[in-house]
Parts: sequence; structure tokens; C-alpha cells
Amino acid sequence: MIDSASTAPALVRLDQLPPNQCAVVRHIAIDDEETQRLKTLGVCLGRRVEIIKRGDPLILRVFGSRLGLAASLARQVQVEVCQPDQCVLRENDRP
Amino acid sequence: MSRSRNTAAASPHRHHAFTLALVGNPNSGKTTLFNALTGLRAKTANFAGTTVERKVGRLRLGEQQVVLVDLPGLYSLNSSSPDERLASDVLQGRLAEHPAPDAALVVVDATNLERNLFLVSQLLELDCPVIVALNMMDMARRDGIEIDLEQLRAELGCVVMPVSARSGAGLAELKRELARLVGGAMPESVAHRKPECGNCSGCSFQARYDWTEEISTRVMDAESSRRSAWTEKIDEVVTHPVAGVAVFLMVMMALFALIFWAAKIPMDLIDHLFATVGTGVTALLPDGDLQSMLVNGVIAGVGGILIFLPQICILFFALSLLEDTGYLARAAFVMDKVMRRFGLPGKAFVPMLSAHACAIPAILSARVIENPRDRLVTILITPLMTCSARIPVYAMVTALILPQSPLKAALVFTGAYAIGILTALGCALLFKHTLLPGGTKPLMIELPPYRLPGLRVALLHTLDRAKMFVKQAGTVILVISLALWALSHYPQSAPPAPALALQAQAAQLDQAGDAAQASAARAAANRLTAQYSLQHSFAGQIGHAIEPLIRPLGYDWQIGIGIFSSFAAREVIVSTLAIVYGVGEDTGDTPRTSLYDTLRRAQRTDGSPVFTTATCLSLLVFYILAAQCLSTQVVVRRETNSWKWPLFQIAYMSGLAYVAALLTYQTLRWLGCA
Repeated sequence: MIDSASTAPALVRLDQLPPNQCAVVRHIAIDDEETQRLKTLGVCLGRRVEIIKRGDPLILRVFGSRLGLAASLARQVQVEVCQPDQCVLRENDRP
Repeated sequence: MSRSRNTAAASPHRHHAFTLALVGNPNSGKTTLFNALTGLRAKTANFAGTTVERKVGRLRLGEQQVVLVDLPGLYSLNSSSPDERLASDVLQGRLAEHPAPDAALVVVDATNLERNLFLVSQLLELDCPVIVALNMMDMARRDGIEIDLEQLRAELGCVVMPVSARSGAGLAELKRELARLVGGAMPESVAHRKPECGNCSGCSFQARYDWTEEISTRVMDAESSRRSAWTEKIDEVVTHPVAGVAVFLMVMMALFALIFWAAKIPMDLIDHLFATVGTGVTALLPDGDLQSMLVNGVIAGVGGILIFLPQICILFFALSLLEDTGYLARAAFVMDKVMRRFGLPGKAFVPMLSAHACAIPAILSARVIENPRDRLVTILITPLMTCSARIPVYAMVTALILPQSPLKAALVFTGAYAIGILTALGCALLFKHTLLPGGTKPLMIELPPYRLPGLRVALLHTLDRAKMFVKQAGTVILVISLALWALSHYPQSAPPAPALALQAQAAQLDQAGDAAQASAARAAANRLTAQYSLQHSFAGQIGHAIEPLIRPLGYDWQIGIGIFSSFAAREVIVSTLAIVYGVGEDTGDTPRTSLYDTLRRAQRTDGSPVFTTATCLSLLVFYILAAQCLSTQVVVRRETNSWKWPLFQIAYMSGLAYVAALLTYQTLRWLGCA
């Protein structure tokens, strides 16, 4: 996966994110009751998430809490992986 | 408008009691705080027209009385679930039956500020005075989280009180602040900083989370590495696809053993107590309708309700402890994949497990399932589990066909339990493809950090459920018990000739001085009278009327009376069969074995035995599957808000029971077991 500064960052499906890898939610494919609920639980655009355990269901860390999540829902979420040396979110926090 | 409301809320001269709504995320310790503030004086009811629970307690603050209303646990006020919609309606006074609260007390989990502030931000926009109780401060400190309270107060523009509901730390200060609010001396309670996120374009959640995260970063200093290290270690095992299921099965088996083993002594005591009271009343009152109604209708009915209480209490106590530790969420997590195949959510194991004690509390516990479709499927299949009331029937059947082999009897018992569970899963699968299509909602469940459970919360929860059971099921069981007593007591018939002859014989024996023989003759006469009058009562006539219908299942009209009498509670068939076959009532002095011997000798009109292997197994299958407990259906009506589903439940379960019993009997007869 080669990213240059000019191209848009590569997005990964949340269910395919490697464990213990910090990532930022960039896109949620559908907007229904379930994804609404997902958003109230913290999985929403701009939030940092991390997979603790892969599988179906998987375990996700979002904010300080852990969330058990069906893979079918995780598939709807696209995330941007934070680079090891710098977190995307921190970078984006700059004005 | 908002201004006038706020003034009214802050005014001490109001006529109604000050109402404080308790709001907070699930797992924020809201219930613990509610209990710590109100104690035993809380009442549980439902919000009008819903099945959402409404707990109300009273809190004394010096001179003032405050009504504390516990709202369901919420993550947000977005109407994505019925609970959240309702809570948001309550807070905004949109329910006609429940006026808007005067203020809101928001419970915030200090160990998870970012998420909890999301709900706070929505509440601050409501024009309702808000006080924040920052709960679990002790845990936060232990986890290395430092929160700048002054800064948080300034950011939110409202009072923030640090508490630990479990240990009681900070409660006195919180009450003092509440008194200040109720007394109208808290201007800062209404001067909130409005996050103003509602009108953002795009993802409205995003703006709100930006707000909460900004505040959290400013007020909180946390070493995140110290968080939840324990929790992760435990979760590696209990959420493992294989080890997790093994742990789940062990926990459930332990719970099961506890329900049956620990409940035995109190159940025997209750049984004994009501038998003693029945005997006492029989001795006190003259023979007649009143005595019979009190003993066989009222006392037997009340005893029949209370006998379930020990199991229900143990069950809810244990479940509450398990929930409080955080394990129940993990159990739902590992079971979700299995249950999903059958169209059931992972959480359905709670009602399915509870139903092995009694279906009524199980159906009430289905409230843990948020989605209405998933909850409905669970409620529909729950009564197929083997409840305690079926056990005496299973015991009777196994004793009849396998008197000498306890091992085989145990196998039949296990088989009966398995048939119940497997049929339930099969039915859920069938409903998924027909009646309630679409399958369950995808799993989304917070896995809270493991904590030591609170005894107080568990005890109060148990008390609450026990009260609910007695109130909801008790009245129905009592009414049905009285109705069935009347049906089996009327029309009254004169004692039959053989009974009269025995009475005369007893009188002669008395004169001859042979008291033992005389009382034996008198007992025999009473048995004959009871048998004769039951056979000629309305219940007996019903038994005759349904005989053509049940003959293909291998039953005669006497078993018909037994099945009919089971509508109060299934186990009643045993005592009914005892009367109808002339063994006498099961009062303890006539051991069960004499009932089984009599039943084994019972003959049809053509001289063949009634209780053949085929008939017994057909009866067993019928009792596993049939919907016979009318109080369950009354509770289902209440929980689904319509008669449609309980009626459907009776229809499908009884249909299933009839067909399965028919197949069992006819197959076994064909195989030569009749």
C-alpha cells in the first residue's frame, strides 16, 4: 500500500483492520437505524477506533470503551489507518 | 417559553413534588446511584402504554421531598430505540400522562468521559436544569484518570458533583447540591453552555463528538495504558469462540444447579406451610363449600404461586450479579453467533435460561432485548422451555414407565428438557422464515469493564422482580385456581352408595371400639366421594366432552380432566389424577408411590391398562409442548400490548403438542408398546 501525499488516503474496511491498529472512521456506507445506533455508540465520522479482536463478532475499542460488533456492520464502515509515527487525527486537528 | 419554565422549576413555591429525572448511559452506575439515593422506597411500574420500566423513588432532602424517576439507560436522545424515544419524550414533557421533570440528574461514568458527555451535550440543549453526577470516581482514580472538576464545570456551565455510588462517597455533597437546586438557589443549573451541534450539516454526531472530545482532552489527564488491562486478559478467554462457549456453558450449568439445589429447601418449606395451613383451616371450618373453596381454591392457589418464588429470587439475584460483573454482555457476545442462526439475538439466552424456572419472569426478562422483533420471537418460544411446574409431571411419567431404572428415568428427563430447547430453536427458525422475517439485528453491545458486583443492587432487583411476579402472575393464578375449583366442585352430587355403605360400616366399627378400622373406612369413603363428585362435576363433563379429541393421543376422559385442570398450573394434573383415580388427595400421609401403583392398575372399560408406555410418553410430549399456563399468556399480552400474540402462542404450541403427542402415541402403538 503506497500512499503519496497527493492522493486520497487508502481506506480499509473496519472488519479487515489489523488488531491493535489505530484508525479513523472516514465513511459509513449506509444510513439506517443500525448505523445510527452505531454512531451513538461512538463509531462515527472522525472518531478513532481500534480493533481488539477480529472475527465475527469482533471487539472494537472506541473512546474508552469496548464494543462487541457484528462483522456485517463493521463491513459498512471504512477507516483510514493511522501511520505508526503520526496519528491522522492529530494531524487533522491542525487548522 | 424556556425562561418561564426554568423559573417555575427553580421556584420553591410549587404545589406538586419536585420531580428529578435520573438519566445516564447503560453501565454508568445509574441504578446503583438510584438505589443509594432512594433505598427500599422505590416502586416499579411501566410508562403508560409501553413496556418500558419506570422506577420511581422518593428522596428526602431536609424539609423537601423529591420524586426521583429513573429513566432507561441511554446512549443518546436520538430516537433509534423505543427506550431512547420514550426517555427523550419524558424529558421534554411530550407524554400526557407524565409531566416533564423539573430537573435532570445525569449520571456520567468518570472512566469513560468522552462517550458519556455525548448524552450530556444533548441534555444541555433541552432547557431543563441539569446536574451532573460524575460517578465511579474511585475507579477513575484507580485507572489513573485525573479530571479537572472546575474546568469541567466551566465547560458545561452546570454543577458537576464527583460521587462513587457504590461506596457512598460524595453522596452527602450531591444531596446538598440537589437541595440547593430544589430550593431554587442554583442559578448555574440553568445557565448551560449549549454545544449547538444540532444544526451542523452532515454528520450531526461528528460535531457533537468533536465537542465531547475537546472537552475531555481539556479536563482529563489519563494514562490510557493502565485502563482495562484485567478486562482484556479475562476477555481473551471468555470471548473466545471455543473457550468462551465452554465458559458460558459452565456458568449456565452452575446457575442451573443453584436454582434447583438452593431453592429446594425454601420450596419444601412453602409447600409444607401451605399444607399445614390447609389442614388447619379444614379442621377449623365445618365441611362445606366455604371450607372447600378456602382450602382447595384460595390456599392451594396462593401456595401454587409462592412455591415458584425461591427459584425466581435465586435466578434474578444470580443474573443481577452476573450482569453487574459485566459477564452477561460477554455471554451475549459469544452466544450471538449460535443464536443468530435461529433468528434469535445473543441476549435471548437470558429469558431462555430463566424459563427453566418459570416462563413468567423469563418473559419479563426479555426486556433486555432492545429490538421489538427479536424480543417478540424470544417471548413466543420461551414457554417451550421446561419450567418447574412440568417437573412433577415428568416425574410421574418416568415413575410410571421406568419404576426400577433411575438411570433410564434420568435419560428420559434429560430428553424432555432437550425436546423443549430444540423445539424452541426450531420454532424460532420457522418464525424467521415465515412470520417474522429478516432475522435478528446485527450485534452491537458494549462490553463494560469487569467490576465486583454490588449486593445491594442485586438484592433490590430481586425484591423488585419478586414483587412483579406476585402482582402480575399471582392475581391471574389465583383467579384461575378459583375458577377451576368451582368447575371441579359443582354441580355437587350426593355421596355414591358404596361411600354411604363405608360410612355406615365406619359407624359400626366405632361402636365396636375399633377406631383404626373405622378411620380407614371413613378415609375410603371420603376418597370415593371425592372421586365420584369430581367425575360428575363440570370438570368431569368437560373431560367426557373432550375424550373423542384426545383418544387418538391415548388418553381417556379422566386424563382429560387432568389436562383441563392443568390450566391453573401444570403440576395440578398429578393431584387431579390422584383424586380421579380414587387415591385421595396427596396430603403427605399417602405417599406418591401409592398414586403410581393405582395409576398403573387403572384400566379402560375394555380391561386394558390406561397408562401404557405409549400413553405415558404421549402425555410427556404433550406436557413438554402444550401452552397450558394461562398466566403466562396474560403476561405475554402485557408485554406485547396485544391479544394477538398470546392467542397465536396458545394456538401454535397446542397444535404442536397435539400433533407431536399423536405421532408419539400412534408410532409407539404401531411398534407394539401400547
